[in-house]
Amino acid sequence: MKIGKKTGRGIASILLGIFSLIYVSPLFIILFNSFKSQTNISNEPFKLPSAATWVGAANYRAGINDYGLLSGVGWTLLITIGSVAAILLLCSMFAWFITRVNAIYSKILYVLCVFSMVVPFQMVMYTLSQTADALRLNTPWGIIIVYLGFGAGLAVFMFSGFVKGIPLEIEEAAMIDGCTPVRTFFKVVLPIMQPTYITVGILQTMWIWNDFLLPYLVLDRNKYNTISMLIQYMRGSFGVVHMGAIMASLVLAVIPVVILYLSAQKYIIEGVAAGAVKG
Amino acid sequence: MASITINHISKIYPGNISVIEDCNLEITDKEFIVLVGPSGCGKSTILRMIAGLEDISSGELYIGDRLVNDVPPKDRNIAMVFQSYALYPHKTVYKNMAFSLEIAKTPKEEIDVRVREAAKVLDIEHLLNRKPKALSGGQRQRVALGRAMVRNPAVFLLDEPLSNLDAKLRASMRTELIKLHKQLGTTFVYVTHDQTEAMTMGDRIVVLNAGLVQQVDTPQKLYDCPNNVFVAGFIGSPQMNFIDATLKKDGGGYVLGINGDSLRIPADKVMDALAQYDGRSVKLGIRPENINDDADYVAAHSDSAISAVVEVSELMGSEVYLYLRYGDNMLTARVAPTTKSKIGDNIKVSLDMNKLHLFDIESGDVILN
Ligand SMILES: Nc1ncnc2c1ncn2[C@@H]1O[C@H](COP(=O)(O)OP(=O)(O)OP(=O)(O)O)[C@@H](O)[C@H]1O
Ligand SMILES: [Mg+2]
Repeated sequence: MKIGKKTGRGIASILLGIFSLIYVSPLFIILFNSFKSQTNISNEPFKLPSAATWVGAANYRAGINDYGLLSGVGWTLLITIGSVAAILLLCSMFAWFITRVNAIYSKILYVLCVFSMVVPFQMVMYTLSQTADALRLNTPWGIIIVYLGFGAGLAVFMFSGFVKGIPLEIEEAAMIDGCTPVRTFFKVVLPIMQPTYITVGILQTMWIWNDFLLPYLVLDRNKYNTISMLIQYMRGSFGVVHMGAIMASLVLAVIPVVILYLSAQKYIIEGVAAGAVKG
Repeated sequence: MASITINHISKIYPGNISVIEDCNLEITDKEFIVLVGPSGCGKSTILRMIAGLEDISSGELYIGDRLVNDVPPKDRNIAMVFQSYALYPHKTVYKNMAFSLEIAKTPKEEIDVRVREAAKVLDIEHLLNRKPKALSGGQRQRVALGRAMVRNPAVFLLDEPLSNLDAKLRASMRTELIKLHKQLGTTFVYVTHDQTEAMTMGDRIVVLNAGLVQQVDTPQKLYDCPNNVFVAGFIGSPQMNFIDATLKKDGGGYVLGINGDSLRIPADKVMDALAQYDGRSVKLGIRPENINDDADYVAAHSDSAISAVVEVSELMGSEVYLYLRYGDNMLTARVAPTTKSKIGDNIKVSLDMNKLHLFDIESGDVILN
């Protein structure tokens, strides 16, 4: 029996629709649970809030007042934006330099960067936290430097892969047009690399925003907490599991990532296409 | 203004790869000079040294009166058109052309005037808002020229700018470039590996081979009086014919012995230098258009007649190329389309001995033009 093209498409759409629903359902469950009372979350987690179980913004208030959720969001934001900005700017410049300057040391640096990707975090985490403490990197500003180190491997690898694809003559044309090397980078190389910036930026943001272990090990917990650290305290430290506050924190943790993805979606697709058809 | 003086310049790439050896060249202001030579002979290297994109290993480079060995490209007042065009892919055509002026902090209004002026000359006004990827090869090439033009540089450097174009567009861009050169009155240094391009465009031509300058001359002089076998063979299409011959003194003059034939060198061509080659082998060079199969001509020049077998005959429209077997040698003759010679015929042709060239077999240097 032959299935028509339209029917085929219809079936595919329905199937994919179901899959997407399964994928986004946890997000919705977290969202509506964040408006339910503590007991109701634990007893009937999959029920939508009703008039009886609705507690409004109480969970958010609890999270903010009891756990300092807002400052957690603030620190997480600062660390993420700071680290991603540092990684993008410094790694792209670094990748451009080591790709274009043909010397032994640039090859060594490249290999070192790529090698750092294969070292598992667990292997270095204990010594790292000691070193970070000793160097007083246990602040949100300090941890940006640590993230720069961890992010550099992948970022340098991706950026130099892209730089190799840019014809050298374009940069030479810029030099003849009057650019200094720094200007060549910012006026010509950087705009051409835009798709890579977006890809690397999103990868790094997802990771750093959601990261728990590194800030937990490095940051001074009495002063600075990230969202994922707070969520950990909510479910462990005081013997009670404060589900309501956890749900509220999770919502706050997820929203920025969703917004980032939705707003960058166009560029992500463009970036992929630009990589596919070189021109 | 902008003459260019290349003084004993050598280029050695890392790894001790010597590419240019002791190059000397005097390019006068407003000249259209063409660097031509086979692939890999170092044309681009010379151009890139003039541009400042490549270090000079030894020697001196002057633009005008200024020694520019250590001057960065941006301060040399030059513009370059790359073989691949090298347009900025993220900028529109307008921005591509305006970029150098923006860097130089030229006022916006003036930038606009200059960009539009150049766009008009190049007939790309309607493309100003497009990005390079939405242009055809020929359009990109004109944008690349435009980008160079807006700056009013003292020197234009062009590296095989027409090699990516189809034959028709190439021919029309050739004339466009010649016009542009007249119009701008700037020094042009043009690199190509195509000798037709070189012959039609250059005021003077520099023939290079394996990093060595072979000859610098006007197209006509190169064609008529090549310095050596390489230049003689490189310039002209189809190629000049070369035949090994033995030079012998005969009475007051000289004759060339080939395959039992004996061709007399015209009296007004005879010179003292021939004496040292008496009885020795030399290389005879004769261009295809100086081999004639016309019966009247052969009758009138029977002293330089030879017989040869037609192996291939190619009709080119306004002329016919005959590929002839003469003893062990293959000769190309360029004859009128009215020719009666057919493939397989054993015909008589006469060489125009006044257009004869003789070369030293070992050094390849010219003995007589
Ligand atoms: N960076 C480099 N390192 C080593 N050798 C090089 C380098 N660049 C070019 N060469 C060599 O120098 C020689 C001349 O190169 P160049 O690019 O000047 O040739 P060209 O005359 O422009 O040839 P084409 O017509 O193919 O463009 C070549 O043999 C090439 O292999
Ligand atoms: Mg070249």
